[in-house]
Amino acid sequence: MKLLQAGLWLAVIASALIQVLAVQWHRDLLQEWQQADRKRQTLQQEYSRLVLEKSTLTAHGRIDAEARKRLDMKDPDHTQVFQE
Amino acid sequence: MNAEKDMTEEHGIRRWRFALVLVSFAMLLGVITARLVMLHTVEQSFLFEQGEKRTVRTEAQYASRGVITDRYGQPLAVSTPVTNLWINPRQVTDFPGLAQVATDLGLSPGALVREVETAARQGRAFMYLKRQADPALAAKVLAHGVTGVNADDDFRRFYPAAEVAAHTVGIVNIDGKGQEGIELAFDEYLHGQDGSRQVVKDLHGNVIKQLGVDSVVQAGKDLQLTLDLRLQYLAYRELKAAVQTHQAKSGSAVMLDAKTGEVLAMVSQPSYNPNNRANLNPANMRNRALTDLMEPGSTMKPFTVSAALESGRYTPDTKLDTSPGYIRVRQKTIRDHRNYGVLDLTGVITKSSNVGATKIAHDLGAESMWEYLTRAGFGQSTMTGFPGEAVGQLPYPEEMNDLRLATVSYGYGLAVTPLQLAEAYTSFVDGCRKPASLLLNQEGQDCVPVMSAETAHEMLNMLETVVGLQGTGRRAAVEGYRVGGKTGTAHKVGRSGYEDDEYTAVFAGLAPLTDPDLVLVVVIDEPQGKEYYGGEVAAPVFSRIMGQALRLRQVIPDKPVENQILHLAGGGR
Repeated sequence: MKLLQAGLWLAVIASALIQVLAVQWHRDLLQEWQQADRKRQTLQQEYSRLVLEKSTLTAHGRIDAEARKRLDMKDPDHTQVFQE
Repeated sequence: MNAEKDMTEEHGIRRWRFALVLVSFAMLLGVITARLVMLHTVEQSFLFEQGEKRTVRTEAQYASRGVITDRYGQPLAVSTPVTNLWINPRQVTDFPGLAQVATDLGLSPGALVREVETAARQGRAFMYLKRQADPALAAKVLAHGVTGVNADDDFRRFYPAAEVAAHTVGIVNIDGKGQEGIELAFDEYLHGQDGSRQVVKDLHGNVIKQLGVDSVVQAGKDLQLTLDLRLQYLAYRELKAAVQTHQAKSGSAVMLDAKTGEVLAMVSQPSYNPNNRANLNPANMRNRALTDLMEPGSTMKPFTVSAALESGRYTPDTKLDTSPGYIRVRQKTIRDHRNYGVLDLTGVITKSSNVGATKIAHDLGAESMWEYLTRAGFGQSTMTGFPGEAVGQLPYPEEMNDLRLATVSYGYGLAVTPLQLAEAYTSFVDGCRKPASLLLNQEGQDCVPVMSAETAHEMLNMLETVVGLQGTGRRAAVEGYRVGGKTGTAHKVGRSGYEDDEYTAVFAGLAPLTDPDLVLVVVIDEPQGKEYYGGEVAAPVFSRIMGQALRLRQVIPDKPVENQILHLAGGGR
């Protein structure tokens, strides 16, 4: 009987300690998750910024103008197109 | 007894005083115990709730809105994370700090401080400082550490293609809700689901405990349209140039994939910049290719003529006498441009003869005309699910007397949207009308048989003559490709019937005719100046858009080189 009582007491104390540890663990994980989430957000910001930048730079109108002005390209004449 | 008396006597304290102290302490203990019991039982739930209220915060998490892209994944609408800055005026005590915040945000420090003070007096606990601020700017503002200045995450919508695709893609309001176009039609799909969770935060605003999740954030789904941004760009550029040159009131162009009915480009003028919400004008936000009804004018005639071919009583060479260039129907005179004399069926299309079309329609009868045009999609909805999409009008056979029937045969007395006209023209590819679609990989509706493949083939040859040297649509020709189409010039309806000097110029056509790839309809509304015919105003736009589009899509030229030499010898532009 005495032994059982002591055992129960030990179990109670152990579970109390584990509870404290679990709470701490939860907090750590939450912290970690929060940091990851913040990182995700900055990455998403960066991504959408890059997507916008890319689409601005590759806009058809811009490519067309650049090809004509900078690269001195032009639409091929009808006679310059190879046809079978 | 003696001993007790001795003890009390010894300390010089009377026994009743001892008892009094004991009793009063016991009573105090009793009061405390009672209070404890009260707090732990009766008031427990109330207190617990109040405690939670002071520490637990319900935090909303906004779902990021799905991306809208064109058929090749080019972004048309993208959400990027931003920060909403807000103030709790009642918590603000650091007014010099607030002034610094105002300077960072480009606001007047004095005005902001006054405003916050007024709000605090009124007991307000919420006030927007700046909505949708750049995250970097928000971080700078928060670094001042002014109590009462808070930040929430939010999303802002950017439209990389801006005014080029604005009408089709649409726009969201500042709360991220769809207002127009695809953004409105598929709002729920794009929006996803906002989440909310209950958390305990420490002094620095870090979450230290997550108590529960009410709903999980679900990011909005992406949407892929059938548009090809490259074609959209060039269609927009050419349409805009034409509308400006002719000082037209408005204009629109629709390009469909001739084989599938997918909308490759759909542009309207005037347009607007969806990235700048400051000056939005509802009139400019209409997607005219889908919402505006117009009378198709002569672009209807190919359907009258193909109905004739389908009846089996006509061939492309059947002769019709259109002299003397006019015909009287119920007190009204229907006129041709001039007296074309005897024309074959092809000639009716080439010369765009109203008299010829009228004679054919009268011969076929209202019932069969109606039935044929309905199959071609007239008088119905194009069913793309676009908000504000107009439903075409076509009079029922009972409503069509001889005059009405005659007018319908050359494109008056019925109404279509430009998209509807383009969809109807897809029937000339192989005899089958392909319902227009705006979403890629959408469960396609089956095509609707309108005419036989042979009739469609004959029609393509007839439509080619319109662009030939004898036709009304010469200026729609594209170098290197066989192009076919039909011009149309419709008087606009004003207060007192048809206006004499207000027109809608239309050109509808296909290319390349050997194996049609694209269908394009160009509509220019109320061109000012000397040129107003479809062949003068809309056909050149058609030619420019079509020529560049075919090249972009790497369609092999199908016009033999001999024609080029003939053309140079004959015309010499």
